[in-house]
Amino acid sequence: MTLIMVVDDDQDLAEMLGIVLNGAGYEVDLVGRGDEVMPIFTAQNPDLILLDVMLPGLSGVEVCKLIREKSMVPIVMLSAKGDKQDVVAGLEAGADDYMVKPFDPSELVARMKVRLRRSTAEVSSDLQIGNIKIDQIEHSIIRDGQIIALTRLEFDLLVALAKEPGRVFSREALLSEVWGYRPATDTRLVNVHIQRLRSKVELDPENPTIILTVRGVGYKAGVPGSSQ
Amino acid sequence: MKSPFAAWRSSLVFRVTSTIVALSVIIIWLLGSALFNQISSGIFDEKLKLSISDAQSTARNTQLQLTFSQYQDKAALKLILAEILAVPPKSFESAARELAIFSYAKTKSLYKYDGTSNLLEANSVSEKFRILTRASKKTVWDRTNLKYIDGKIEPAIVVGHNLTIKGAGKYEFYVLFSLAQQSRTMALILNYLWLTGIALTLLIGLITFFVFRRLIAPIRDAARVAEELTAGNLELRMDIQGEDEIASLGYSFNEMAVSLQQQISRLENLSKLQQRFVSDVSHELRTPLTTIRMASQVIYASRESFDPTISRSAELLISQIERFESLLTDLLEVSRFDAQAAVLEIEEVDITALVKETIDYLHPSQDRIIQLWAPDKPVMVDVDPRRIKRIVRNLISNAVDHREDKSIDIQIEENENEVSVGVRDYGIGFNYTDKKLLFERFWRADSSRARTTGGTGLGLSIALEDAKLHQGEIDVWGARGLGAHFVLTIPKFAGGSIQSKPISAQPE
Repeated sequence: MTLIMVVDDDQDLAEMLGIVLNGAGYEVDLVGRGDEVMPIFTAQNPDLILLDVMLPGLSGVEVCKLIREKSMVPIVMLSAKGDKQDVVAGLEAGADDYMVKPFDPSELVARMKVRLRRSTAEVSSDLQIGNIKIDQIEHSIIRDGQIIALTRLEFDLLVALAKEPGRVFSREALLSEVWGYRPATDTRLVNVHIQRLRSKVELDPENPTIILTVRGVGYKAGVPGSSQ
Repeated sequence: MKSPFAAWRSSLVFRVTSTIVALSVIIIWLLGSALFNQISSGIFDEKLKLSISDAQSTARNTQLQLTFSQYQDKAALKLILAEILAVPPKSFESAARELAIFSYAKTKSLYKYDGTSNLLEANSVSEKFRILTRASKKTVWDRTNLKYIDGKIEPAIVVGHNLTIKGAGKYEFYVLFSLAQQSRTMALILNYLWLTGIALTLLIGLITFFVFRRLIAPIRDAARVAEELTAGNLELRMDIQGEDEIASLGYSFNEMAVSLQQQISRLENLSKLQQRFVSDVSHELRTPLTTIRMASQVIYASRESFDPTISRSAELLISQIERFESLLTDLLEVSRFDAQAAVLEIEEVDITALVKETIDYLHPSQDRIIQLWAPDKPVMVDVDPRRIKRIVRNLISNAVDHREDKSIDIQIEENENEVSVGVRDYGIGFNYTDKKLLFERFWRADSSRARTTGGTGLGLSIALEDAKLHQGEIDVWGARGLGAHFVLTIPKFAGGSIQSKPISAQPE
């Protein structure tokens, strides 16, 4: 069974989340303090973490950084503030997605499903983007013989772009494809993750050759074999 | 460099200095000419007095000399007259004096003894004066010019007497006194007067300029400080020196600035506190609202197992929670505008695509209700897409709320620097007097009217704030029964401003 770790200091909210997630068929583990997360995380090894930003003991952003040092597990931040700095701090610490309270529980579940989905549906073994080889079976990224570690979201983002090399993806298209969003939501999420992904896969993130920006529209995959 | 006219208008110092200089020029001119006239007539009178007494004694002596001379013939008489006329030529200017002897008779000149000293031309004495002299028994005088054979001319006084020459008859005797010395003195005095006048005028001008500038320096300072205060630099104060009236102006000014600063900071604090409170309340409400929302959804999901009243209650609960939530979101956005914490995140986007997306989001199925009229090619603009979407969403929702089952036209037009999005409905419209109130928070066109959609009452107010952030405007036209037309106009490029509007709110 899929185990979800819910980290929130508001007990009622956490309990309610537990009820909703149980109803959706997940097993839930509730944690109330930021500094209690790491021991439990190591012991339970959950499949996904719902993480509140404001936590006693240790802030959600700090917790997120600690987890990312050890694991690529999907992290969805829960924030009571829609302010940009708050959201960006969480995403830059390694969170895959965020939900602003009060969120629609069905949308939360839908997004969690996207994050939990194993991207094995359509396996074409040799995908290429720029000078990077994507091995979908091994779930790994190889540049010049070296393996680059990516979170599952970053992997999905890269695969989405690589699968249709000619297509220009708008931010909205990427949101619905990679994050499972409905339209008319915030596209800042895409910008932050593209930047994070570039910092990992590009040799020079200032002059990207793998994920190209199309001004006024969105992003597209770099041409395989182009000079780096 | 400012033109004198502009300087006159804008500079008090210039105005006062030039007025004072002009007045002093007039006064100095009047005083100078009066002084010059006094001096010159004084000098002339003195010379005249001396000249007349000198001429009288010379005439007397000459008459005596002629009367008592023992001459036998005409040659001897001529010799005596030559002796008389042999005045030493001018070596000392002060004593410059010439003599002239003319016979009365003009035509019959068998033997005449006319003569002048030092090659003086006979016409140095005018005919008119000669007639006057002949007729007069007394001493007469006049102004004239000394004319020499070599062409030299000098101003002079001429004094005339009559002589009786034994055996030769009546003769005129003239003594001429040169005024060259006096003219030179006068010219010198005139030069000095000019020099003094000019120096005095300059001095007065300079003194006025500096004294006055010094005097109004605190006023200039006050004006500068006041400008800075207006610009928001509330810390600035005037420099104060001494204890005089100007210093007291400074004290009062600074007191005013202090009180102003206190008032403003007090109001700022109050308003900040207020905004913080609104923002905090909104945030604090979010967590419980999340729980409520989830709980209500769980209840709603199993509503079929309840009896009808509870089931209906669950439905109402859900819809009201949604309404509450959008109100909270809008409230938070308004508090962000009030705190001036709203910032643009500019991207280059196609506004037509953006409007289409918004229409699809609001009315995915009802494509017949809303018609879009847009240019064929993409209209690229530098905007914050989130905010522009929100404006368009608010305008369309508003039109949908008031359309009264009629269709809605959305039009996009661009020109070189601006783009307009017009949303036109043909519904209930509004009174023209309501126009100003439209963008007020929580204002409703018709309070008695039941709400069809869950608008928060903040939508248009937020849309206007969003437009202003883009240096844009929202124009409105409306008439009761005829519908309404809302036009958003924004500059296409970041940092631009609106020069003209591609769509006018007033329908044709």
